[in-house]
Amino acid sequence: MSDRSELLSTGEPFAFDAERDAEFERLIVRYPIRESMIMPALWMAQEQQGWISTEAIEYIAERIGTFPAKVFELATFYTMYQLKPAGQYHICVCRTLSCWLRDKQAIVDYLAEEIGIRPGQISEDGRFSLEEVECLGHCGTAPVVQVNGEFHEEMDLEKFKALLATLE
Amino acid sequence: MAELVKLFVNGQEVEVESGKNLIDALRVVGIEIPHFCYHPALGADGNCRMCLVGIEDGRPPLVPACKTPVQEGMKVLLDAEHIKKIQRDVLEFELINHPVDCPVCDQAGECALQDYYMNYSLDDSRMQVAQVTKGKRMDFGCGVVHDQERCVLCGRCVRFTRQITKTGELGIVNRTDAARVSIFPGKPLNNRYALNIVDICPVGAMTSSDFRFRQRVWFLKKDPGICHGCSKGCAIYIDHHREKYKDDVIYRYRARTNLNVNGYFICDDGRLSYAGENENRQTSALADGAVIGFDEGIELVRERLDRARKPLMLISPDCSLEQMWAVQRIATLYGAELSGYSDNYIIDGDGDEYLINDDKAANRRGLELLEIDFSRAQFLTGLQHTDLLVNFNNDLFFGGVDEELKSLLDKTQSIAVCSHQLQVYESASIVLPTASYSEYGGTIINEDNVLQRFEKALFKNEDPKDVLEITRLLGGAINDAPHAWPGIKQSVACLADIDPQAIPAEGIKLQNSEDTNVGA
Repeated sequence: MSDRSELLSTGEPFAFDAERDAEFERLIVRYPIRESMIMPALWMAQEQQGWISTEAIEYIAERIGTFPAKVFELATFYTMYQLKPAGQYHICVCRTLSCWLRDKQAIVDYLAEEIGIRPGQISEDGRFSLEEVECLGHCGTAPVVQVNGEFHEEMDLEKFKALLATLE
Repeated sequence: MAELVKLFVNGQEVEVESGKNLIDALRVVGIEIPHFCYHPALGADGNCRMCLVGIEDGRPPLVPACKTPVQEGMKVLLDAEHIKKIQRDVLEFELINHPVDCPVCDQAGECALQDYYMNYSLDDSRMQVAQVTKGKRMDFGCGVVHDQERCVLCGRCVRFTRQITKTGELGIVNRTDAARVSIFPGKPLNNRYALNIVDICPVGAMTSSDFRFRQRVWFLKKDPGICHGCSKGCAIYIDHHREKYKDDVIYRYRARTNLNVNGYFICDDGRLSYAGENENRQTSALADGAVIGFDEGIELVRERLDRARKPLMLISPDCSLEQMWAVQRIATLYGAELSGYSDNYIIDGDGDEYLINDDKAANRRGLELLEIDFSRAQFLTGLQHTDLLVNFNNDLFFGGVDEELKSLLDKTQSIAVCSHQLQVYESASIVLPTASYSEYGGTIINEDNVLQRFEKALFKNEDPKDVLEITRLLGGAINDAPHAWPGIKQSVACLADIDPQAIPAEGIKLQNSEDTNVGA
């Protein structure tokens, strides 16, 4: 997988909006260990900002009372967290065993050729971004592709081209 | 001593301490179980899988030794084929993306990966794909340099910053073969113990910018010593080497385990204080600024002392107990007043709750036990009335120049017996060079009343004479450190039962610390 440890900064301080602030307070009491709140908080930051910035990670660490490095670990481990602005269509291609064996590479290579994006990149027009992700849990119907969170299973190159056409 | 349990390792019976895990318990009896992530100070993490062993009692075929406490009658398998295979397999995994740059790696010679490869693997690489490349020479702050490619991701460094310093600067980011140790952007290591990370890293991923490329570790002679940086008295290794045609110099200090004093770690200030032993040393005797022979210097000092009407002697609170005793004896011999004044060694607020003390004097307890006065009032009075001050290596300007003392010192005839060239000795008319703490042996007592013994580690080309030897040359009756002990034992009650030759490596916690000294 690609290195996700190069964080981006917005240059502005981050804080939850009123709605998410209330949501944070509602959820935090559920967790006997406050650090368990890191992952829900990262989701909320991503919802609010579209992606998770350096400032958002620092804010979450401060709010939960943990080390920024710990939030950094989780944000980079899970590929569902967007660490930079995504394209209009964010495509995730599973790269774990079953999908790899069932030729996910054909899809990744096609995207490199046709749209010019490699895993971790966004197309120049901002319409597509690509991430190679670890197991999405649909190994029986490999290879699996996610577009903006929606699963497309038993993909092959032809099906993927057709899928891409619907996004145009 | 904990209870002993009998167990079998590869069919052979061994007796070990109960309450420990297999790695620690078997290490004591000389049986090595290879491991990367386990460290006694950081606990069992179980992530490296290198310590997998077999236990023949119906549990799963492989269990991590770091998480397995010893039990009576346990049958441990270390040399079975399936265990050797898992060790080879783990090493193969670790080496897939390892650069194998041992010839330019500082860790070579003390690297777990290198040693285990030689002991447990020796397999050729089967990899035919390009290696994953990661960050090199990354400045993590506090003098720690990180090489992500050499890392085995054992997480010791990460756990150190979270459990020991509680500063949490490090984390393991990404996953799979992209995983790496990193700091959070813009938040480098920022604690006073960071260089311990270099010690605990089992491989060459964490190196010290201070030590990097300065010496191959197999040339270093590693002698136990005690840090004299503050009154904690942390146990250290003095790693030194005499290069051909050069002098014996110290290249680094490392933490030596002493559970009575410092546990497994030392502070960075102490670790880097080795440089002070090499630099700025007083190496020749001086009379009014001109170099003279050492013996000539001794003669001059004797003459001055004989002539002095009201001599005052000042001793450093870093001196060993034996040196203090010897100076106390010649002070009596010459009818001199003796002071151990050293308020300047105390830097208020510098200490912490862990290993750093405010008091930078290594042996103030020694002054107390020998009832050597170290009050400012008495020293000032003495200084005002004396016609000759003999300063035994006491840096009166330790925390900065003391103007009141300086003006008095400038007016007083003084003799400096000193290991370093410092401003405070500039007013001395006679200077005698002396050994510093890595160059003599003795005992010191730390702030928590632990008596520790250390031996002479360095042998210089021109071996400087230590304070005790100089007192002998000045007519004192103490020949060497052991010779001081009968007298010390007689006058200090809490040391009466101590056999100086039998002080264990971890020291002795003295009892009855308060008000026990009689006589003297």
